[in-house]
Amino acid sequence: MFRTCDITGFKVDLQSEKLIRYNAVFAVISLLLAVVAAILLIFTRYQPVHLLNAEWYYRLLTFHGLNALIFWIIFFEIAGLYFGSTVILNTKFCNPRWGWIAFALMVAGLLMSNTLILMGKADVMLTSYTPLKAHPLYYLGIILFAVGALVAVALFFGNLMIARRDRTYGDTLPLFTYGLMTAAIIAVITLASGALIYIPTFLWSLGLIGNIDAGMYKLIWWGLGHSSQQINVAAMVSIWYMVSFLSVGGTSINERVSRSAFVLYILFICLASAHHLLTDPGVSNAWKVWNTSYAMYLAVLASMIHAFAVPSSFESAQRRWGYNKGLFEWLSKAPWSNPAFASIILAVIGFGFIGGTTGVIFGMEQTNIIVHNTIAIPGHFKGTVVIGTTLTFMGITYYLIPLIFRRKIVGFKLAQWQPWLFFIGIAILSISMIVLGQLGVPRRHWDSTFSGGPFTHNFNPAVDFFWVLMMLGGCIAFISTILWILIVVVSVFFGPKVNGPQDMQLTVSPLAPEAKSHKGFEAPGTLVLTFIFLLVFIALFFLNWKWLAATWQVN
Amino acid sequence: MENENEKENKPKYSFGRMIMDDYMLLLFLGVTIYAIFYLLWGVMELSNLPTIPEELKNSLLK
Repeated sequence: MFRTCDITGFKVDLQSEKLIRYNAVFAVISLLLAVVAAILLIFTRYQPVHLLNAEWYYRLLTFHGLNALIFWIIFFEIAGLYFGSTVILNTKFCNPRWGWIAFALMVAGLLMSNTLILMGKADVMLTSYTPLKAHPLYYLGIILFAVGALVAVALFFGNLMIARRDRTYGDTLPLFTYGLMTAAIIAVITLASGALIYIPTFLWSLGLIGNIDAGMYKLIWWGLGHSSQQINVAAMVSIWYMVSFLSVGGTSINERVSRSAFVLYILFICLASAHHLLTDPGVSNAWKVWNTSYAMYLAVLASMIHAFAVPSSFESAQRRWGYNKGLFEWLSKAPWSNPAFASIILAVIGFGFIGGTTGVIFGMEQTNIIVHNTIAIPGHFKGTVVIGTTLTFMGITYYLIPLIFRRKIVGFKLAQWQPWLFFIGIAILSISMIVLGQLGVPRRHWDSTFSGGPFTHNFNPAVDFFWVLMMLGGCIAFISTILWILIVVVSVFFGPKVNGPQDMQLTVSPLAPEAKSHKGFEAPGTLVLTFIFLLVFIALFFLNWKWLAATWQVN
Repeated sequence: MENENEKENKPKYSFGRMIMDDYMLLLFLGVTIYAIFYLLWGVMELSNLPTIPEELKNSLLK
């Protein structure tokens, strides 16, 4: 059963639409759980308040990590995979029954794991490094969730096969779906690693296996833990291209290069998991250097290609619409009132300048040592998973509400402010955490003043200022996330129905016209912005090497 | 005859393009590269670590 979308013209399989809706709803629920825990954690780490006791701090840290990094992200990505493989390809869902089984497994996994954590039976944090042991049902919950997600990924490939058989798309997959295909392949690698480590750990928690080697656990677990964040990167970049198309009719100025960058992700990005083991003595330097340098840089190259290709697709389209004056008229006349567009541009900036730069610097064996196990590391991934992926997912939701849920966005004025508020909050939070880490503040630490401990440490006095900033940024980000959740929930459940294009509050742009003539660079403004980015990157790079050199005297 | 016509009408793609469009091949390559360079290499190194001498272990655990 299909309906034809009166706004986009896509044929929408009704079963697929329902699955997209349900997965998206559970993604939002997971995000709500994650941010409620997050605000409590912030007020615990902020020493003058120090809200939770140690037990509940580690309990909610586990809860926050699992809901933010696994449940929120993967539920949303599954919704995205279904959208990209059926709606965008004008094809039917290959097996809705299995789609519902996958969804039920994922929900069961979420409920089981979260319940066990809140009961205090799994205070092991997201990484659950052995020999820390949780209740067997905690591991079973994660296994159920992973199996459900793996089935969903298989259904995505099934949808692609049906679309190819029925020739519902041209010669090759649209770039958005191609990027999602990349995310799906990385998901297979991720979930297979998860199965490899969680199944024996589950058996160990039942007492059926005597011992899980701690080094081996860490190696395989990070194949899941880090690679799962690379699913986000691929899905996020795909959405960037999609929003360029929807908001200004933009396409990559060289689609082949963009596709090659996705292929580089498939081949090399998962190897970067190795940087979590940079201080582990068990693996050799050759293993560390190969995986975190030579191989990882090919994935970094891919990100830099996208970092140029996405803004240039906006610029090229805007110039073809006539915004040609100077270097930046395309940017000043961009559809900033479109919250999806604003979200994506802010996500690109945040991901590049905060998450990307720190990712490369912290991922190197040498400079990693300055910040290893400090609060700078979660600061870095606030700059990738939160300001990048989460803001991107928030942005595309503004399109999903009218196109998939068929509702108008309630509180549209607030929706226009929300991405800015979120960006400012997370940027402050992330940067202050990175600075705190550079000053030596540890991560995952209930009391970094070490009060009552046998030894103490006096941090640089600047630390107090950055703790306040971190709390401030966290509060702004929390408020804007709650605002986004309210907008989504009220719109989806109580919003006025969309009856046609006249009810569409966001632009769905036609394809930008062909360029009349072409002289010089197609996207000079983006080129200038890219050079600014590279200068910042180089400055941070050398600054970190300088800090490294200052940590000990070499004669 | 029809098949021959179909073959002639089929656009010719470069080798690179054929690889990039074959998502099953990409899946295979992605899994294999990760399995060899990250997983198997890492597991081999950890498996070949010498075990801690019993005396040293006991002295550390005291």
